[in-house]
Amino acid sequence: MHDLSLYLLDILENSVRAGATVITTTIVADRAADELSLAVEDDGPGLPVEPEQALDPFFTTKANKKTGLGLSLFRQAAEAAGGGLSVGRSQELGGVAVRAWMRLGDVDRPPLGDVAASIATMFATNPEIEFRVDLDQDGTRTSLCGPDIPARFSELTAFQEALP
Amino acid sequence: MADRITSPEQLKALAQKAKSDIDLREGRKETQVTVHMGTCGIAAGAREIVAAFMTELSANGVSSASLHQSGCAGLCEEEPMATITTADGTLYRYGLLDKSKVHTIVVNHLVGGTPVDAYLIKT
Repeated sequence: MHDLSLYLLDILENSVRAGATVITTTIVADRAADELSLAVEDDGPGLPVEPEQALDPFFTTKANKKTGLGLSLFRQAAEAAGGGLSVGRSQELGGVAVRAWMRLGDVDRPPLGDVAASIATMFATNPEIEFRVDLDQDGTRTSLCGPDIPARFSELTAFQEALP
Repeated sequence: MADRITSPEQLKALAQKAKSDIDLREGRKETQVTVHMGTCGIAAGAREIVAAFMTELSANGVSSASLHQSGCAGLCEEEPMATITTADGTLYRYGLLDKSKVHTIVVNHLVGGTPVDAYLIKT
């Protein structure tokens, strides 16, 4: 994966496949703290295993596969940029919570990429799911929710264009 | 790289189409286009393939087909790939897609009714 928006798309797909009906994406960019974080939470059934096992590249919930590379690759990318990745239970929604963080200015941090395209892809092909997007750039917060997303889509593109 | 969605109107149109597709799904059988978006598919460019299908379905006035996404189909070496399911349940799996192939598939298969044999996955 060459940018963070593709990792995000992969995590969103996991939530959709798990049967979530509400999925929240949170992206926080804090220049003062030199940190960028991306988080996805859902109201799906949650992890069937311990979090550490979910990060094992040879663990998957799919019957026809033997590997589950998405989360482990995301963790590797985050760690390479001085951060990490955690998987657990969403306090707000009750399903899975995935959060990756990394140094915003780290030379090894992948570019943010086209987050708007990833959100749009999942939004348009899964109309039965409520998507929420929370953005925070240096303390300036924006929240997009469900039907509001199309009308306020420009805020999402503006957020990503303001970051390297 | 696919064209980015740059306006609320574009996204709203896509969302409205998707919602109308859901309405269709609740009624009679229909043609479904499913782009596989497991980790392998995403890494190979599946997001751009979804965008290409959105563009081509709209540009060619294909209202009888709905666009969906799913996980890995187990044929990672064929990614990015899509499966077209016709009203009679027949599956057509297309592999190693790009924007040009998507255009050909929509025009020939979904509009013209003739599957594009050259792009079908041979199993």
